[in-house]
Amino acid sequence: HPARDATSAISSSWQLRPVPGLQVPLRLPSDRRPPVRRFACPASIAAASAAASPAVPPGPPLAPAGIARVYKPRLSPEAMKEFWRLSGIGPDHSRAKAADQQAEVPPEIKRLYQEALPPIVSQDYRDPIVESLHRAEMMRRRRVINIPEFHVGSILAVSVMDKHAPNKVNRFVGLCILRRHTGLFTTFTLRNMVDQVCVQIEYELYSPSIVSIQLLKLERRLDDNLLYLMDAPHSHCTIPFDMVPEPYSRNDPVPVNRERVRLNPPPWMCKWHLHGYQGIDLEHLYSYLSDKDVAKAIEFSKAYKRYDLLDQYLNRVPVPDADYAFKDIFIQHQELLQHQQQQQQQSSKKSEVISKLTGTV
Amino acid sequence: SQLIVAMATAPHTWLRLVPSCRSYSKATRLHKIDYPWKDEPKPHWVRQFEARRVDADLTPENRDWLRQWRLQRVRDAVASSSEAAAAASPLKEPPAARPLWTPRVSQRCGLVGIKLGILPMWYRNGQKVHTTVVQIPDQRVLRWVPPEDLGNYASLREMRPYRLNQSLLPRWLTQQRWGLQLVGAVPADPANFTAQWCGIFKAAGLPPMRKISRFLVSPDAALQPGACLGLHHFRVGDCVDVVARTVNRGFQGVMERHLMEGGPAAHGSTKFHRKMGSAAGGGGPIYRGKRMPGVMGNRFRAARSLPVLRVNTKHRLLFIKGFTPGPPHSYCQIMDSWMLDVRRSLDANPPPMPTYFAEDAPEGGYPEDVYHPDLLPYDQPLELPD
Repeated sequence: HPARDATSAISSSWQLRPVPGLQVPLRLPSDRRPPVRRFACPASIAAASAAASPAVPPGPPLAPAGIARVYKPRLSPEAMKEFWRLSGIGPDHSRAKAADQQAEVPPEIKRLYQEALPPIVSQDYRDPIVESLHRAEMMRRRRVINIPEFHVGSILAVSVMDKHAPNKVNRFVGLCILRRHTGLFTTFTLRNMVDQVCVQIEYELYSPSIVSIQLLKLERRLDDNLLYLMDAPHSHCTIPFDMVPEPYSRNDPVPVNRERVRLNPPPWMCKWHLHGYQGIDLEHLYSYLSDKDVAKAIEFSKAYKRYDLLDQYLNRVPVPDADYAFKDIFIQHQELLQHQQQQQQQSSKKSEVISKLTGTV
Repeated sequence: SQLIVAMATAPHTWLRLVPSCRSYSKATRLHKIDYPWKDEPKPHWVRQFEARRVDADLTPENRDWLRQWRLQRVRDAVASSSEAAAAASPLKEPPAARPLWTPRVSQRCGLVGIKLGILPMWYRNGQKVHTTVVQIPDQRVLRWVPPEDLGNYASLREMRPYRLNQSLLPRWLTQQRWGLQLVGAVPADPANFTAQWCGIFKAAGLPPMRKISRFLVSPDAALQPGACLGLHHFRVGDCVDVVARTVNRGFQGVMERHLMEGGPAAHGSTKFHRKMGSAAGGGGPIYRGKRMPGVMGNRFRAARSLPVLRVNTKHRLLFIKGFTPGPPHSYCQIMDSWMLDVRRSLDANPPPMPTYFAEDAPEGGYPEDVYHPDLLPYDQPLELPD
């Protein structure tokens, strides 16, 4: 089996980001540990070992003669520090990301290229070459079309090629309620009301039949998806097709819309109370439910999953893989900017030449 | 009546060829040739891997140095037999007479590939297509077994029919039109393998490799040991068959494995929800081949007639349309398709015979990515006709 034979290029280490609110004791109580035996080491041997391996810091614990040769640390202090930094635990875990690492990839890259993250699947189904191909093809497509930064809760206008439309282009405006998958498989769903009919359209972000994606309003909601709007009053997803785009700045943080939606009375398409949605008016929601369902919903919302380490490990991207992906994308992003500048220069030169030939100013 | 065929070449003269039943009931679907070692990797009579020896007499530095020395020898052996070396060497001459493609006769060797994953692409008419990314590792031809010697070949000598109804031999063994081409892939450190395994490669002058595959090849397309098989053996537009072991789904019940109905979930059903039910009828015996629970998957299956849509020379990748069996990072065999329409189309546009050599390269070499003309690269806009 080639996977077992070859060494994997990406190390799959247990990377856990510090979870807010999770109290983990960083040091074991020392009174429960057995006392450390300390030995006296002759000064000559200590000096010799210090001279032979200057990386070993001098001082306690003292060891008997000869033991320093066997028990000296195999890893340099820099390597040990790196290990503790990546482990996510230890005295310096809250300052896990070094300043130089953070400075390499600006935060706007992580906002703009959310789909560049590798998929959260078993390591057996991930391949570094395929992921790098996905990223390269994503950046190639972005040379043809501008894909703006958007989140679930933003309002977009998408134009796709349609041979049956009068202008051969079909434009749809809607609220982004869902954004899923990674890489070239990324899709997003827009929802809107058209002639008092709810319409949801799922688009593939990297499909070549998309002519343009225009961001009308940059906004975020409290949830990863807004599927509960299917059971909400239609006023929440009615967006005029002639909406004027609102200006936004890339440097500002994405505004969060903290509105809480009141759902319609049941029956519902889904048990919305069992998914931990924060964007629903929970008091109003529980008023429709029986005591048993309310207890179940409260049980779910206790957020005991933050203590489930395996769940956290399985549902997160390993930190080194995410860093590698964003660094790769950052390099290609800079090449994309250069390409866009060159195109602008060429188009300006073209317009100059045309104006000279036609005699216009 | 029973038809007994005496095969002069093969020693299985005691086998009887019974006319196959044409009825399609499950009990009599017995034309499949099955034997316990059919799905085992060949050669199964040779142990491949050797437990790593811990040489206590060696210092770590010397152990590392020896390992590097072994790996360098492997690299040198691989480099000396590569197509680049063949092209660069002033002494070696290209093959004197390359065989011509003969319609209805020629069948080329195939390639060993490693399935990596899936990449979606789009055609120039806007249609989406999923492509399987397959990497072609380092591989060399190991041995050629002519059709006359098939009967004496080790793994085939023990093929026996089972009682009752296993009386048919595979046609490639009985007709003897094609021979076996052994191909080795992924050279590796000899210390990982047993001496017996390394001995298989010694005769060809090759370093030991992790994977040995067989291909059914016509004698006119036979390759001699040591020949190099490369990425450009297949061209963009060629239709290929991909044979691989399917994903192992473990021990599964009949509803998952054989799509049986099971029983009702309610209405008084007592302990009968996902069971098989009856195994036979009228007090008769359970026939061989009865569908029952067992390990599902992990069997060789072929995806037929898949076109190669794109070739990447940097990472040695083939982008094959559709989906192939097996999980990511599993070996697969890729060969010219056996479908008749593909074979007929190859008569008009024959592929490099017997394989791709450096002299077949176009002027200026190949670009990093070679696309099928119907495929739309991602840096080009889609232009639909009005």
